[in-house]
Amino acid sequence: MSDAQTAPAKSTPAQQVATGDRAILPEGAKTIPIYVMGKKYEVPETLTIMKAMEFAGFKFLRGCGCRGGICGACPTVYRKEGDYKLHFGLACQTVVEPNMYLAQIPFYPANRAGYSLDEIEPTAEAIFALYPELFRCVACNNCTKACPMGVQVLDYISALKQGDIAKAAKLSFDCIQCGLCASRCMGELPQYHIAQLARRIYGKYIQPHADHLAKRVAEIESGKYDEILGKLTEMSKDELAKLYKEREREPDLAPLGTWMPQDTQYL
Amino acid sequence: MKISYYPGCTLKTKAKNLEDAALASMAALEVDFEELPRWNCCGAVHSLADDDLIHHVAPVRDLIRAMERGSDKVVTLCSMCYNTLARANLLMRDDEVKRKTINDFMDEEKDYHGEVEVVHFLNFLRDEVGWDKLRSKIKVPLEGLKLAPYYGCTLLRPKNVSIEPPGHPKIFREFLEVLGARVIDFAASTLCCGSYQILANPEAAETVAATILEGGINSGAEALVLSCPLCEFNLSKKQGDLLQKNMLSQEVPTYYFTQLLAIALGLGGEVCRFDLNDKISAELLKSKSLPSCDQAILT
Amino acid sequence: MGYTPEMKELIKRVEASRPERVERARRGEHYPALSLEEREVVLNKFHPDYQQEGRRPVRVGPNKGQAFPEEVAGMLESRSMLRPERIDLSKVDFDTDVLIIGGGGAGTSAALMASQAGLNVIMTTKLRHGDANTMMAEGGIQAASQECDSPFYHYLDTIGGGHFTNQPDLVAALSHDAPLSIAWLESLGMMFNKLPDGRLDVRHFGGSSRKRMHSAGDMTGAEIMRVLRDEARNRRDLITTLEFCPAVELLLDEEGKCAGAVLYNMETREFFVARARAVILATGGFGRLHIKGFATTNHYGATMDGVVMAYRVGVGTNFLYSTQYHPTGVAYPEQNVGLLITEKVRGLGAHVLNIDGEQFCFPLEPRDVESAELIKEAVEKNKAVITPTGRFGLWLDSPMIDLLHGEGTVRKELPAKFIQFDRHGIDISKEPMLVYPTLHYQNGGIAINSAAATAIPGLFAAGETVGGIHGENRLMGNSLQDIITFGRRAGVSAANYASNGVELKKLTLDHVNKFEKELAEAGITNPLIAPILLPDYATDEVSSRRLMDAQMDSE
Repeated sequence: MSDAQTAPAKSTPAQQVATGDRAILPEGAKTIPIYVMGKKYEVPETLTIMKAMEFAGFKFLRGCGCRGGICGACPTVYRKEGDYKLHFGLACQTVVEPNMYLAQIPFYPANRAGYSLDEIEPTAEAIFALYPELFRCVACNNCTKACPMGVQVLDYISALKQGDIAKAAKLSFDCIQCGLCASRCMGELPQYHIAQLARRIYGKYIQPHADHLAKRVAEIESGKYDEILGKLTEMSKDELAKLYKEREREPDLAPLGTWMPQDTQYL
Repeated sequence: MKISYYPGCTLKTKAKNLEDAALASMAALEVDFEELPRWNCCGAVHSLADDDLIHHVAPVRDLIRAMERGSDKVVTLCSMCYNTLARANLLMRDDEVKRKTINDFMDEEKDYHGEVEVVHFLNFLRDEVGWDKLRSKIKVPLEGLKLAPYYGCTLLRPKNVSIEPPGHPKIFREFLEVLGARVIDFAASTLCCGSYQILANPEAAETVAATILEGGINSGAEALVLSCPLCEFNLSKKQGDLLQKNMLSQEVPTYYFTQLLAIALGLGGEVCRFDLNDKISAELLKSKSLPSCDQAILT
Repeated sequence: MGYTPEMKELIKRVEASRPERVERARRGEHYPALSLEEREVVLNKFHPDYQQEGRRPVRVGPNKGQAFPEEVAGMLESRSMLRPERIDLSKVDFDTDVLIIGGGGAGTSAALMASQAGLNVIMTTKLRHGDANTMMAEGGIQAASQECDSPFYHYLDTIGGGHFTNQPDLVAALSHDAPLSIAWLESLGMMFNKLPDGRLDVRHFGGSSRKRMHSAGDMTGAEIMRVLRDEARNRRDLITTLEFCPAVELLLDEEGKCAGAVLYNMETREFFVARARAVILATGGFGRLHIKGFATTNHYGATMDGVVMAYRVGVGTNFLYSTQYHPTGVAYPEQNVGLLITEKVRGLGAHVLNIDGEQFCFPLEPRDVESAELIKEAVEKNKAVITPTGRFGLWLDSPMIDLLHGEGTVRKELPAKFIQFDRHGIDISKEPMLVYPTLHYQNGGIAINSAAATAIPGLFAAGETVGGIHGENRLMGNSLQDIITFGRRAGVSAANYASNGVELKKLTLDHVNKFEKELAEAGITNPLIAPILLPDYATDEVSSRRLMDAQMDSE
């Protein structure tokens, strides 16, 4: 079956070098016990939770995505021995500790309200209408405590309740939509969906539009560049190389919109 | 008749002997109670400990924000906010057990012990700015305006957070007098506006709102002055409903105390946005030749 | 944690040369860039793509006879996981106008455009919607939006960066559509970095003549992906998303038109027949094949699925032998090895330095040249830092950024990167980063035309799975632009095609049988089974104990 198929590197086994993401246990490296959903595994220290689990033999289907801390696929909850506190992190970013008890939460249900961005009023009231549960927030701050990105979740929820969409958009910008905030919310808010709505309203209606871009779009749609692009596709390598070498370079420190090249025939 | 028996936790543990005596007695009386098959704590533990502490988490967090900035005082304009923050503050000052519980719950924050003082803006004006200084800054006295200050409940109750010693509050009167208005006290000025009952039990809220508004007018006032947006909602925004139901004899102008402060200081009507008040409120100001808002909005 | 005392000692050399380097940067002086001829020399000697070792000709299919890296050749010579005779194609489980295979930036753009035309869309993806390299692109997206710029210069920079190998009609499409893509994203509510008056904030990048790099913090791709995904979720009436359900083989009809795909629910291990009047492949790249054992910046699912499926229906590839190594992958700390450090760090002025704190290259060469220069400094000059785990590393002097642009710029412009290093005890606004080239991008792929159409009627392709746009080397910010431009074009083309009276005949998997016959005739007796869908990082010790291996040994 397919799931036993592996990357081709596997067809040349026995060679103990770190290729790709496969972890190896170098000579003299220490191992530590971790508990994956209550079951004990010995893994090399210094690995991330994700690589440690793979070292132990897990092959992820859920709970693994970009492996770089940005996609929100691998939110993980863990406790440490002798500590009542819950800790939160991304499996691909959190380094294993001895005797950590962990479980991944690859998915957590969160209500998402559908809407039309073109028709929505860019007001806080429009957000309240889609997400009346905003007012169930009791400011317990469990959302912020759970966020693996250090987003001030309570603060952006508060900003929205205060009608400040721009502030909420900026405060929530680092959100990776992993859902840990929603999993911990006693008011049952889907914080990350609400934040997404706020950011899109901000981007479309509140942030000023780029006028120079609108002009360029009009030029392109009028066919202004069709001829020159057509010519370029016909050019030989030498002709292109000549033009390439002759390019003027916009100075690094020239403020945007202030510099113009000597040669303006291709603008 | 079918009777269930609820024993309670303490009678099953520390006071087991008391239950035993009762059960023995019941048997002697040939009473056959059946213990509830599923039961949980009666809640007394929570209610005795008054464990509604989660409601205090939000205001305490705000007080911690003020403490973090090194502030001695935090000033608020809204009576309801004042009340909530002040009560939470007292709790954190006075109740060691609950303080610890809340501080432990908010372990991501610095511990708070009531370091910051919560001050309503009226008190701030009286005690920090001073009536004399305020009087010297008045450019447009509210002459000829007969105003009834409405306290509602949250400025004065419970008494340990009252902005004035219990009895006859006078801070609002003094404030309006400094602004140059004629002040009319009225009996209903400390009644509750109906508060959140407007959602759960609108009839009850409408009845008290009508009583307050009529009370003000009947005492000879031309308008009510408010200090809480929720009071403003019940007493101003809902007036249309009251008129429709014949619970109110006439429209009653209302102002937020900060609006009157601003026009008395000569800041003009624009900043106050009287267009968001009832139309009649702007008209009253205009009739007294006081700044209201531009003609376009009135007509 | 942070740097070891030995490494901290070495950082002092970087700090010693910094004031003078910052002064030079302020005067607008930089380390001289290589001429076209000098580039050629360093590439030939040090770039992994140019070395013949580890490559071999592929023995079957449309690209028969062309040489590819071993890992890629193995995929092209693989066999299907399906036994066609056991699949009942008369039982159709899903029927739709447009089937989109892949739920990343290109697939989702295509879905939005096809649904815009009123067509029913099924978007099927092997992980979650949005699990894709798009999400990971940090630095930005190119478009000639400025007055001093134009599609002409975008074209020139792109084809020059690709050593003039790029497919011209695709470059023209890219530079033509780029500003339209940005405007489209703006209309969808994407939060671009802007100046207070709304002007788009743009920067230089390796190989640019104009500031053309648009960004959203240092998570441009993530911002694009979450906006597109959110919009697709608003269109549930027309767009159905199937997660954890990759396509494993394309379906043709008896006339040879593409007519759908066989889908595989990875959770229940069921196969489904999906029939569609048009199909778009948008499965992404091949980083997880770990060409030559290089670490990769890529997403977990980057396993070349689309190319494999297209190859079996007879669609060939362009430039698939070419792999982009990003010059600045993380070399330390070990937990982050291989992860990308955006080119924006160099765009903001950070120098690349050797163990002695000396500059040895222009920091903004095209990526392949820059990578080759780093490899040269390490391998030939022996001037790299050796990390505690025995990896090469060269310094990327990020603290220069705050010195050049003001305190707090690193945190503001590179928030995600700042957090990522801060977690491991390194403050990149105060300490430099250790970097080394890492496998980043599949330069080539499925052959398409400027309408994103392949040689098979009804089969379209977009995104990293296609080849030609970037030739043998891609410039920064052209990948995000490519997924939007060609994702949108594929959506429009597929919708036009599907709306023009396509009549599907009987479904067939005969092409699979034919391909396997070709494998047998070429003497390939034990082909891999592909698409592999996901890599496996279990240790050899673990895998030797697994059920499949144990069974095979006993047979």
